[in-house]
Amino acid sequence: MDVRTLSRPATQLLKSTTRQTQTLLPLTTSRGHKTTARTKRALKIAPHDSFLPNRSQPFPAADHIIYNPPASEASPEHTPFIFLPANDPRREAIQRMRLSSPEALGSVTTSPDNADDLPPAMRYPRRRAQYNLTEDDMAEMRRLRNEDPLRWSTNALSKKFNCSPIIVSIAAPAPAEHKKWLEEKAERRRERWGPIKTQAREDRGRRAEMLYRGEI
Amino acid sequence: MKGIRPSRWGGQLLHARSCPATIPRKNFLASTVRCQSTVPAPAAEDLIEQIPEEGETLPRKLPSPLPERALHSAKLAALHSRLSLSKKIPLQTLARALVTPSADPNPGFNNANLAFLGSTIINYHVAEYITCKWPRLPMAIHYEALRAFSGPESLAQISRRWGVEAAAAPGEEVDPGLLQWASNSSALVGTRWGGYVRAETDRKHSFYRRGMSSRVVLDNDFGDAVDAGSVKDAHQHHQDTSFSSFVQAVVGAIYSHSGREAAKDFVESHILSRQVDLSSLFEFQLPTRELAMLCAREGFEPPLARLESETGRHSRTPVYVVGIYSGKEKLGEGNAPSLDFARRKACMNALKSWYLYSPGNKVRVPSDMMEEGAKPWKAPHIDIGEVI
Repeated sequence: MDVRTLSRPATQLLKSTTRQTQTLLPLTTSRGHKTTARTKRALKIAPHDSFLPNRSQPFPAADHIIYNPPASEASPEHTPFIFLPANDPRREAIQRMRLSSPEALGSVTTSPDNADDLPPAMRYPRRRAQYNLTEDDMAEMRRLRNEDPLRWSTNALSKKFNCSPIIVSIAAPAPAEHKKWLEEKAERRRERWGPIKTQAREDRGRRAEMLYRGEI
Repeated sequence: MKGIRPSRWGGQLLHARSCPATIPRKNFLASTVRCQSTVPAPAAEDLIEQIPEEGETLPRKLPSPLPERALHSAKLAALHSRLSLSKKIPLQTLARALVTPSADPNPGFNNANLAFLGSTIINYHVAEYITCKWPRLPMAIHYEALRAFSGPESLAQISRRWGVEAAAAPGEEVDPGLLQWASNSSALVGTRWGGYVRAETDRKHSFYRRGMSSRVVLDNDFGDAVDAGSVKDAHQHHQDTSFSSFVQAVVGAIYSHSGREAAKDFVESHILSRQVDLSSLFEFQLPTRELAMLCAREGFEPPLARLESETGRHSRTPVYVVGIYSGKEKLGEGNAPSLDFARRKACMNALKSWYLYSPGNKVRVPSDMMEEGAKPWKAPHIDIGEVI
């Protein structure tokens, strides 16, 4: 008699107990719609307000058009107001409309003081021109970079001189051998990746290309 | 579309080429470097001499059916009435429009001349329409739009929808109402009109491509390098060019028999009436940077991405809706499963809405001024150019 025959009843006992506890203790107590009548009643939801006619006026109200298009992406065929050239008749029409009813155009606000109406700004690295660097700063930056490119990296210099890393890479590019060394280092790191990570990186690049072609 | 400069034609013929023209050119204007020449080709006389005189016995089969047989072809009459062509256009001309140079190399009997005339008319009307309708299109998209309207593939589709069928093989005995072309013919069918053979095509690196400006100057009407037959799917290419040459030849025939107005109406109703989704032609490199450059160029406030709405941030499939704003004006909106993608998509949509600006559905084009009693011309809005 081997160990397996002994152990089998024990595992079966364990399994049966777990199954029993699962059936006995459901996570949430909910009642299903077991009959047609209950299902119909549960699915009967009042329509959204935008589908209903305007009841604000007393009964013989003026004609009311229900305009409730489904949520969809804006078409690039619709030129934003700011992109219209000066001689386009739509520009004047939109301006007239904004003056008459500012709330008719949704998120676009005309009065200058209510900046809070706009959605929150996203945080991402973007260009903030400061123009705070002088000629001497640039020369100093170049000297430091050539002296010790390892210590004075792009980020270190951009922090020291309070400018963006792009300006550092333009004004004080690293020596060629340092760039080559960095590239080799990155290549060595890439070689250590396994198949899953390599494929994931490739897929990410492919997704970006598809995005730029407008396919996703 | 390239401007045709007749004053330069003579000079083109007199000057020597800088690189050897090793590309075989078997079409009817075999001797000219730039094939948009009105100089009669010397090869034409030789070909005409081959036609036997009346009374002689025919030594061999003719390459295409005789023009007289056009009057007895039911297919041809049906095609004539299906296209609602004017009575001024005889059936013989329509029959000639169906004979491609690959079937009959004789320019007195094939459609090469009519097709060249028609292609210039079609390309002119399409180009002026695109320029006036979408005045901000980048040049690459402009070329692709031109190709989508009047490229060989589109015109081949049009001629198939007209019900044009090809003969199994060209010859004297086939019905004149069938398109006559041969894929194995040494005579090139193609629209080898306009453009220069580039010097670098002789080199090994045939994929080498210069910038957009040289495409405008050197290449053909669709910005493609003029190249000897090294096309990938040669059979399909020959078929498309053969079928499209029929459409071009019909437009040429209408122009020669019924005049400019009729040809323009025909182009508008058969070619410009087709719908092209230009927004699917774009491919961006750095959309966020391009939009920032655009705003700087036009004097708008720098663009700022704002998160309009989001759902399921901690789930497997979140959706973010990001809007791009310049000051208080919204430029575009995009949604994607990541914040970065949504921002880039919003930038792309904003750029597309800039490039695809259109003054309206009914734009006036310069050729409208040729009508009798046209209203005075008002210059259309034409943009200064691409952003990057």
